Amino acid sequence: MSLTRNAPPVLDIPEPRPPATPPKHKLWFYRFDTKRTPYVFISPFFLLFAVFGLFPIIFNGVVALRNWRLDDPDLDGWAGFANFERLVHDEDFWNALGNTFGIFILSTVPQLLIALMVANLLNRKLRGTTFWRVGVLLPYVTPVAASTLVFAVFFSRDNGMANWLLSLVGFNDMSNPLDWRAYKWSSWIAIATMVNWKWIGYNALLYLSAMQSIPKDVYEAAAVDGAGPWRQLWRITVPMIQPVLVFTVVLSSIGGLQLFNEPMLFEENPAAATGGSDSQWQTIAQLIYKVGWKDLDLGYAAAMSWALFLIILIVAGINAFLTNRLGGGRR
Amino acid sequence: MTRFGRRGWALVAAGLAGALTISGCSGQSLEGGNDKAAEGQITLKVNFWGDMGLDKLKAAYEKDHPNIKIVLNSGEYNAQHEDLQKKLVAGSGAPDISAVDEGFIVQFRGQSDKFVNLLDKGAGSYESKYLPWKWQQSLSKDGQQIGLGTDVGGLAMCYRTDLFKAAGLPTDRDQVSKLWTTWDDFINVGKQYVQKTKKKFVDSGTNMFNPVLAQQPQGFYNEQEQLQMEGGPKVAFDVSMKAIQAGLSANLASFQPNWDQGFKKDQFAVLACPAWMLGHIQDTAPEQKGKWDIATIPGGGGNWGGSWWTIPKQGKNADEAYKFVEWMIQPQQQIEVFKTVGNLPSQPALYKDPAVLDYKKEFMSNAPTGQIFASTAENLKPQYLGKKNGPTRVAVENVITRVQQGSLSPDKAWPEAVKQAEKAANS
Repeated sequence: MSLTRNAPPVLDIPEPRPPATPPKHKLWFYRFDTKRTPYVFISPFFLLFAVFGLFPIIFNGVVALRNWRLDDPDLDGWAGFANFERLVHDEDFWNALGNTFGIFILSTVPQLLIALMVANLLNRKLRGTTFWRVGVLLPYVTPVAASTLVFAVFFSRDNGMANWLLSLVGFNDMSNPLDWRAYKWSSWIAIATMVNWKWIGYNALLYLSAMQSIPKDVYEAAAVDGAGPWRQLWRITVPMIQPVLVFTVVLSSIGGLQLFNEPMLFEENPAAATGGSDSQWQTIAQLIYKVGWKDLDLGYAAAMSWALFLIILIVAGINAFLTNRLGGGRR
Repeated sequence: MTRFGRRGWALVAAGLAGALTISGCSGQSLEGGNDKAAEGQITLKVNFWGDMGLDKLKAAYEKDHPNIKIVLNSGEYNAQHEDLQKKLVAGSGAPDISAVDEGFIVQFRGQSDKFVNLLDKGAGSYESKYLPWKWQQSLSKDGQQIGLGTDVGGLAMCYRTDLFKAAGLPTDRDQVSKLWTTWDDFINVGKQYVQKTKKKFVDSGTNMFNPVLAQQPQGFYNEQEQLQMEGGPKVAFDVSMKAIQAGLSANLASFQPNWDQGFKKDQFAVLACPAWMLGHIQDTAPEQKGKWDIATIPGGGGNWGGSWWTIPKQGKNADEAYKFVEWMIQPQQQIEVFKTVGNLPSQPALYKDPAVLDYKKEFMSNAPTGQIFASTAENLKPQYLGKKNGPTRVAVENVITRVQQGSLSPDKAWPEAVKQAEKAANS
C-alpha cells in the first residue's frame, strides 16, 4: 500500500509510434506476438494449477459422493450425501476439528504476535543485521521432519529436555515426569511450540520488509507528539503494514488448519496416525489420512477433505475480515 | 513495478514448469535404466519388517545367481502390510516378494486372485514338510496357496538375569520358570521386584495383553468374523489391568524409540518373547549380551506372530521370485536365519535337526532356544485372526495405554475397550 502511495510520479513518455505496417506474411506473427504471447508465458502456472490444483479438488468432490473402499472393491457406486451425513455424526471428526482449532489458536496467535515483536526489534539499528535476519529464518529452512523428530525427543516423558527445563524452575518432579502425550493441553502446547518455532522467523521477515517502507517522518512526528515505542508500534506500524498482516493471517490460517507433519511425527508410532492413545491431538488432516489410508475408506476421506476445504475458506475469510478491521483499514 | 512483477511470476512459473518436466523425465529414465540395466539382469524387490536375517542370504544367493539382484526393503510392521494392500488394489507397485505376518494373512488370503498361486509353481511338494496349521493359514478358501511359511513365533518369557539377581530373585531359567506357572504368580513376582528395586517390571501393559490373548482359544474374532470381546480379549485385558494397577508397567510403546531406550536404561526386567523377538533384543541392546535368559511363559504355550513369503501377481518376475522363495525355505537357509536372528522355522523336521536342537544362543546366556520354542510351537492350536484383527488390536492397545497414562481409570477401561474395538471392527 505504502509502496504505491509513495511511487515516483510517472514520467510522461510518448507512446512509441507503431512501426510501419509489416508485410502481410509477417502480420499474423506480429499480431500473435503482441496479443497471445503474454498468455503463453503465463500459461505454465495455470496449466500446472489445473493439473495439480483444480483437477484434484474436483475429483475429490466426485469421490466424496461415492463409495470407494480399498479393502472391499465390490462396494462401489454413488453414495449421494451419505458420506457427509456420516461426517456430521462422527465424533472422531468433531474431536479432530476441536484439536485442530485448539492447536491452531495456540500456534497462530503467539506466532504472529512474537513475529511482530521480532520484526520490530530487527527494524532498529543493530550490529550484524544480516546475521540476525538470516538467523531468524533458519528454522524455516530446516526440514519439518528433522525438526519435529528432534522436538519429539525434546518432549519425551523419560529423559526429555522439556521436563528437565521445567524441573529446573520447580514445576516438574523428575521422579514423576509429565507425559506430554497423555493429555490434550500438554500435547497441544508441544505441537504448537513446533509450529511457532518454525514460522516466527518467516513471518518476522515479511513484517520487517513491510516496516522498512514506512517513512521515518511519521515516527518522528509521533515521537514529537509524545507517543512511546509501544504506542508507535500499535498506532503506526501495525496499521501501515496491514496488507502484510492480512496476508500472514490468511496464510497461517490455511497452514494451521492443514497441520499434518507435526502431529503425525509427534506420535510415538508415527505409522499409527491416531494422534495419541485417545486421539488427544489428532488433527483433521491426520484423520483424513487415517480414514483414507489406514481404514482404506477413500470416499469418506474425500468427504472429510471437502469439509476441511470449506472450513478453511470460512476461517480464512473471517480472519481476513477481522484483521482488516484491526487497523481500521478501508479495504 | 507491478508490470514487472507479473512478468517475473510468469518467468518463475515457466522455469518451474521446465524444472518439473526435466526432473520428471530424468526420474523416468532412471527407473527404466534400473529395470533393464544389463542384459538378462533381474531385480527382485523383497519387502518385510524388522530383521529377518536376510543380509547374508542375499549375498549368498546373488553370488550363485549373478543375473539376480535382490533389493531388501525393511519397513515398519503395520506400514508394510498397509502398503501392500494399497499396491494390490492399485494394480502396480507391489514388491516381487512380500512378507505377510500372521496378523494380516486372513486379510490377504481373501484376495488370493492378487497373488501367485504357489501350488502352480510346484509348492505342493512342501505341504508335508510344514506344521499343518501353518500350511492351512495361508491357504485360501478355494484352495490356492498364497504363501510359503518362514517362521512361527512360539512364546516364552525373556528376562534380565542381572536385574533379577539384584532384586534377590533366582536367575536359573528352570527356577524362574517355576516362579510363574500362572499370570497371577507372574504379577506377584513383579510386585516383589518393584518393591525391592523401585523400578518397573514389564515394558508395557500391551505386552501383557498380547501374549495372554495369544494363549486363549479364541482371539478378537470368531470364524464368522464376529467380534467376540467377552471371551479371550476380556481375560487378557484383565491380566494387563492387574499388572498396571500393581504398578509393574513402564508404559513404553513397543517397537518405538523410547522402548528401545528402555532396554538400555534397564526400565524393565522381563519381556514376553516370541522367537522373532530375540533378533530385536540383540539388535537394540547388543551390549546386554549374556544378561538375558529365557524362561517358559506363564499360562502355558501360545503363538505370537510368524510370517509367510508371498508373491504378488502383478510382479513381472514371478518365476525368479518363486525360485528365491523356494531357496529361502530350504532347511539350510532356515537354520541360518534361526542362528542369526532367532526366528524359529515352521517345518517340524527341523526341530529334530541337531543344528536347531542343540543350538545354544550365546546372546541369551546360552539358552537352548531351539528346544524352548520348538516345544511351544509343535502342539499348538492356532487362533483364527479376523480380517480386522490388526486395527482392533491397535484400538484396544490404545485403551490400555490410556490407563497407563492415567487419563482413564481402570474400572472404566473395559467398556471403553469394547466400544473402541467395535468402532475399529465397523470402520
